[in-house]
Amino acid sequence: MQPLIALVDCNNFYVSCERVFRPDLIGKPVAVLSNNDGCIVARSQEVKDFGVKMGVPLFQIQQLVNQHQIQLFSSNYALYADMSARVMSTLEEFAPSLEIYSIDEAFLDLTGVCHKDPIAYGHKIRKAVFRTTGIPVCVGMGPTKTLAKLANFAAKKWKMTGGVLELSDPVRREKLMRIVPVGEVWGIGSRTTEKLNKIGINTVWDLAIQPSKRIQAQFNIAVARTVLELNGILCLELEEVSADKQQIVCSRSFSRRLTEYKGLAAALAEFCSRAAEKLREQRSVTCCITVFIRTNPFNQNEPQYQRSASAKLDTTTQDTRVIIATANRLLTEIYKMGYRYHKCGVQLSNIKPEASPGQLELFDFIDNGLHENRPLMSVVDQINRRFPKSISVAATGIDKSWKSKANRVSQRYTTDWRELVKVR
Amino acid sequence: MDQLLIFSASTYIRYPAKSVRRIPLPLFEGKVAAGFPSPADDYVEKTLDLNELLVQKPAATFFARAQGVSMIGAGIHHNDILVVDRSIEPVPGKIVICALNGELTVKRLDRENGQWKLAAENPDYPDIAIFEDLEMVIWGVVTNVIHPL
Repeated sequence: MQPLIALVDCNNFYVSCERVFRPDLIGKPVAVLSNNDGCIVARSQEVKDFGVKMGVPLFQIQQLVNQHQIQLFSSNYALYADMSARVMSTLEEFAPSLEIYSIDEAFLDLTGVCHKDPIAYGHKIRKAVFRTTGIPVCVGMGPTKTLAKLANFAAKKWKMTGGVLELSDPVRREKLMRIVPVGEVWGIGSRTTEKLNKIGINTVWDLAIQPSKRIQAQFNIAVARTVLELNGILCLELEEVSADKQQIVCSRSFSRRLTEYKGLAAALAEFCSRAAEKLREQRSVTCCITVFIRTNPFNQNEPQYQRSASAKLDTTTQDTRVIIATANRLLTEIYKMGYRYHKCGVQLSNIKPEASPGQLELFDFIDNGLHENRPLMSVVDQINRRFPKSISVAATGIDKSWKSKANRVSQRYTTDWRELVKVR
Repeated sequence: MDQLLIFSASTYIRYPAKSVRRIPLPLFEGKVAAGFPSPADDYVEKTLDLNELLVQKPAATFFARAQGVSMIGAGIHHNDILVVDRSIEPVPGKIVICALNGELTVKRLDRENGQWKLAAENPDYPDIAIFEDLEMVIWGVVTNVIHPL
């Protein structure tokens, strides 16, 4: 039986989340800003129609914002994560297996599920997600993931599809591929696009008719696989179990520049706490810690400085205190007075699954001055889950004025009893 | 590393006393009671979970805070928490959340001579006729009210 894969993608996801609880914003231009309220990361259709591109800094479009009264929001990740979980759990009812690809998209394996009328099934999915969560989605379908992605792109772009498109039929596939630029294909980045254009491959169709062997020789195996996938030959399987992260990064830019060591150390300690929490969440340990600091590269009037330093631990750890102590030692090595720091962060790598409790690692007896205390950390995590941010390591400090700006954040409608949506 | 000494002949590990580390051993789980076991032990199942009572479909269930007294006749007071299920079919007689003129409102859904309308449960508030597409207007169906006494 021919495989059938669907990509379900939420329309302007962050904006749609805000609109669920603010119906007055439906039909009005709305945009969501990145961390620190710096750049545009989500745009309603109205905002796209004004020509506002993804990722542009807010100050560049300030005039458009004023002129059209674009409603701006800071990122409300508590809300977006909760709404995403609702969308995904709704989708699970429609397919025997599902791969959550990002916060707002998922691949569904529909092989053998709806061969009689895939389009009708796609509409059923759309309706169910909207009804359950209030989030509009588009559904793209095809025999491979790459074709499902392409179908979704087209379903979003052309309104007459009604938000659902299926590309199992080669004739229909060719028609679409001849008018879509090759850069829109999943996995073809801007540099590959440039190279492809140079040898005369401009549309998706131009790429699809290439012999994959030749493409592999000229580019790489990934692009060759894309060629096969565009021809309906399945190369990329659904990845159901999300692989544990091989590295965890926690970093932010500050709302105001930090110059003193003390302030940087406190911010860094907070990032370490969060990174350690993530590490424990996925039941892993780390033995490699990297710290980086830097000034603002966009402000060329100021003296520039950026450094990073790494440490390899003798034993693996998941203890917030060990990670903070190590990061602090690294920070003293790279910190230099006289610069206005804009960003710092920590990266945990060499991540492995934790040993079962009570079981000792070889050489675990080495005294590193700070004994691992798994029960203590697990109690801290439990308390913080119930009462967010109630316990932290003292090194994170009390003064949080370096924290990123989020001046326009909406209510946490679905995750905080004090912030529920009000109805008259 | 230097604290660690391994003797291949007898294969034992020695480390300085100061770095002796406490190794937690798993405790015997479950209670060992002196005396008779409780006769109720066989009947213990689980504690009651309010989610089970109030939430049928977690993905579709939202909470909202009621404002005002337009639905006082239905037992909805100012500041009560409403349990809203978006997946339930809105049929006449149900109490629903509606998006009207950009605002969310709670009213009873009614149908009279083919005309959909929203009715308050308070004589001081007039009924509102719905002329838009019902699917676009209905936000969810209220299933329960949480009212502190």
